[in-house]
Amino acid sequence: MHPLLKAIFSASFAASILRVTTPILFAALGSVVADLSGVVNIALEGMMLISALVGVIVSAFTGSAWMGFFAGAAAGVLVGLVLGYFHLKLRTNVILAGIALNLLASQGTVFVLYAVAHDKGVSSSLPSKVMPEVQLPIIKDIPVLGPIIGKQNILTYMSLIAVVVIYLFLYKTSFGLRLRAVGENPDAADSVGISVHKVRFIALAISGALAGMGGVHLSMGYVSWFSRNMTSGRGFIALAAKALGRTHPIGAFFASLLFGLTDALSNYMQSLRVPGEFIQMIPYVVTLVVLAVYSGRQLKSGRFSNE
Amino acid sequence: MNRKLIGVMLVAALLASAMLVGCGPKEPEQEQNGDVEEPKYKAVLLLAGNLGDMSFLDSANRGMQMIKEQLGWEVKVIEMGTDPSAWEPTLTDVSTQDWDLIITGTFNMQTQIEEVAPKFPDKRYVLFDVSVDYTKGDYSNVYSILYRQNEGSYLAGALAAMVTTSDMPRANEQKLIGFLGGMDAPVINDFLVGYIEGAKSVDPEIKVVVSYVESYSDPAKGKEMCLAQYDMGVDIGFNVAGGSGLGQLDAAKERGLYAIGVDSDQAMLFKDSDPEKAELVLTSMLKRVDNSLFRAAKLFQEGKLEFGKAESLGLAEDAVGLAVNEFYEKNVPEEMRTKLDELAQKVKSGEIQVPSAFDLGPDAVKELRDSVAP
Repeated sequence: MHPLLKAIFSASFAASILRVTTPILFAALGSVVADLSGVVNIALEGMMLISALVGVIVSAFTGSAWMGFFAGAAAGVLVGLVLGYFHLKLRTNVILAGIALNLLASQGTVFVLYAVAHDKGVSSSLPSKVMPEVQLPIIKDIPVLGPIIGKQNILTYMSLIAVVVIYLFLYKTSFGLRLRAVGENPDAADSVGISVHKVRFIALAISGALAGMGGVHLSMGYVSWFSRNMTSGRGFIALAAKALGRTHPIGAFFASLLFGLTDALSNYMQSLRVPGEFIQMIPYVVTLVVLAVYSGRQLKSGRFSNE
Repeated sequence: MNRKLIGVMLVAALLASAMLVGCGPKEPEQEQNGDVEEPKYKAVLLLAGNLGDMSFLDSANRGMQMIKEQLGWEVKVIEMGTDPSAWEPTLTDVSTQDWDLIITGTFNMQTQIEEVAPKFPDKRYVLFDVSVDYTKGDYSNVYSILYRQNEGSYLAGALAAMVTTSDMPRANEQKLIGFLGGMDAPVINDFLVGYIEGAKSVDPEIKVVVSYVESYSDPAKGKEMCLAQYDMGVDIGFNVAGGSGLGQLDAAKERGLYAIGVDSDQAMLFKDSDPEKAELVLTSMLKRVDNSLFRAAKLFQEGKLEFGKAESLGLAEDAVGLAVNEFYEKNVPEEMRTKLDELAQKVKSGEIQVPSAFDLGPDAVKELRDSVAP
């Protein structure tokens, strides 16, 4: 068998897809929640980065990975509220506020890193903790599935659970309904007594918490330290995954999985001297095609005719 | 009236400071060993950044300490911080002061030197890890130091090949070694060419798995690529990818296989926080900025430093080399270390000529890379 095929049909490749997908999936879910409430959250990248650093620092000083995890998620919430404050209270353009937060995160984390770890590149001098890997008791013994999903970082499982939780939250709870109503038509929601600001603040907080978990996965699951700008655009890829998943948690899951698949594929192809750039192009091309087809259909059905 | 007074005071202050500065160097220097009257040289190091990077800047600082201790110079180190707008004014300020050598480096400072050096033709500048473009103007007072990373990487490649063909505890049967590059760019490929040649010198059958992260700040992707390499049967890899490259060390730890670091001594980065990981980093390929600055100062003192040109320094000048630390001595078997020393000697004496990616050009590099692909 060709070495590439051999590599691709291995369990370790399938497991790597889930690993690569995890941070993107968290952020994509965050993006879905914010988007459905009517706020475009492009600060995901910065949220992830800040949470990644906060998680490392807190886990190093408390000696507990879970404390780091919660602190990282809380940092995401905080950034979400800051974004909400600027956008909702001060009426800043949300895109500009998002860009500002991303830029602040990119350099600000280096500043804090230097203050705490006395290094501008990497936090390796801090004894930070890593979120544990979990072995699922029965599943790990199933022949093919076992090696793939039987043993992963706990955050990978949490990201999969989050898909279901967010879905239920958005579509099966009354608050989820209100959130979507606010996104669909804020004036109508307002007229029946829903506080648009409050709902959007909460949506941004949830969005930040999810992005924060994605960031924590990078610095405390994927690798065991923080390094400058380590998110490397995953927050933006999550936006694309949201768009490709048509702003639905299940859709965002499959879109993130597609991005994860192509990314993992390019990692493996690289080592076999197939240009990985070509494979990495695929998710973006797919996004464009899907969006074009989708909006084309909507135009036909006349849904956009009023706008 | 008030304004006049301030003016007078300012002039007075200026005069006083000018007198003080003027007096400074003329004061008789008290040498401690008295009887030899040596002119005392003065050198200043300007760092575009801060100390503590565990890499070039720290190494440059060590070089200054060597110059101070072994040559008895007066030295000063100025950390200019990370705000680029402060760099050129600082360089200009320092250029108006009385220094025999003004040392700075990294590509961050190239344009600043190109701007300032011609304005102070009687000052002498040393620039490390980058060269001014000597065709662009009169840089007869600038000496640029470049590092022959291909020579250091040659040793890294030789080590990797010896490890993968050895019966070391973690080495496997396959003659497969890994390389993680930051970008498919000439400077990274210069490392790669040396690495491949070094590996082939040990065993021509060696295959090299090459991956490029296409980013210097994505350790997660770096780790993922190295996991893919290790899963293919690679048992030792060399990372040349900045922050992304550190991902290799996590992959090495996860698979229990070997890694070789670059630029800074990457085993030392994790020595305290994660000793298990540090054990797997057999060595790191270093640019010895400290040695190269010391050499420049020594040559300057002897009047032999040639300004107005760039010099590329390699193993012969101890300007590149493998990190010799406790992990290297403990984990690399003695016969391998002896062999590496022999190889280093041969490169130094010119018996072995290590090709460079800059001379080969992109097509030849690709050919070489394909020739060792698994």
